[in-house]
Amino acid sequence: MIEFLASRLYYLVSFLLLGVGTYMMVGNANLVKKVIGMNVFQTGIFLFFIVSAFVSGGSPPLLTAPEPYVSPLPHVLILTAIVVGVSLTAVALGLIVRIYEEYGTLNENAIRKVISDE
Amino acid sequence: MIGVLDVVLLAFILGCALATALLRDVLGSIIAFSAYSLGIAVIWVFLRAPDVGLTEAAVGAGVMTILFLVTIAKTSRPSGERTLERIDYRAAGIAIALVAVLSTTLVALPPFGSAESAVLTDEVTRYYLANAYEQTEVKNAVTAVLAGYRGFDTLGEAAVVYAAGVSLLVVLKKQVFA
Repeated sequence: MIEFLASRLYYLVSFLLLGVGTYMMVGNANLVKKVIGMNVFQTGIFLFFIVSAFVSGGSPPLLTAPEPYVSPLPHVLILTAIVVGVSLTAVALGLIVRIYEEYGTLNENAIRKVISDE
Repeated sequence: MIGVLDVVLLAFILGCALATALLRDVLGSIIAFSAYSLGIAVIWVFLRAPDVGLTEAAVGAGVMTILFLVTIAKTSRPSGERTLERIDYRAAGIAIALVAVLSTTLVALPPFGSAESAVLTDEVTRYYLANAYEQTEVKNAVTAVLAGYRGFDTLGEAAVVYAAGVSLLVVLKKQVFA
């Protein structure tokens, strides 16, 4: 059991990060913290990909290093995903700034209350 | 096989993630998140992904933190005496259910670092590693794939960044980034 968990610990941690991200997106009332939660969720997925590319005793995929190499393909996909994630965060934070100008609060429940009162 | 350092690093990032989730002050949460990004960047280097580690350190810990700080400077921080937030049990239930469902797949996943895993034995991986230098004359296989074989992906990524910049200007009702 312990050995099984030790050999899959990275995967388990990536699932736990997905859990923490979900908790933040659902449970935290502050909009900025929801966006941080989205980023934690993303890095959980990144961890899953990068771990799947790893091989024990492998070199980075620089072809001057001795074999075996880790797989370069998940690295490329995650590099793209990181940049897309930043774009997403930037737009989300822009929307948050506008919401604050409009409603004067970043608390989800307070914003809902203002909307239902209108 | 997994070492002591791996376990320490994983414990560090999990601790930082939990601190990010539970700290009431958003500024504290942002600082915990940048520590978390730094830990993740070190893990990428451990997993032999130096390119991803560099990007994560520059973008995750650097640009992202600045974006969050600018946002809270323009808006507000919740004030109060409590250090930690109250736990939302409904959200915690959803999160635990998600982790439980995902964990059922653990038995189907290959052990950490196994050379027989589907990713490493896949034809695409072997093709890139065998031919990247001959076909592109780039010794970094990640760069060869990013800018060569999957160049259209990178073009799409540039389109996304451009679209994000334009939508940010539209949302903030501005003409230029000042």
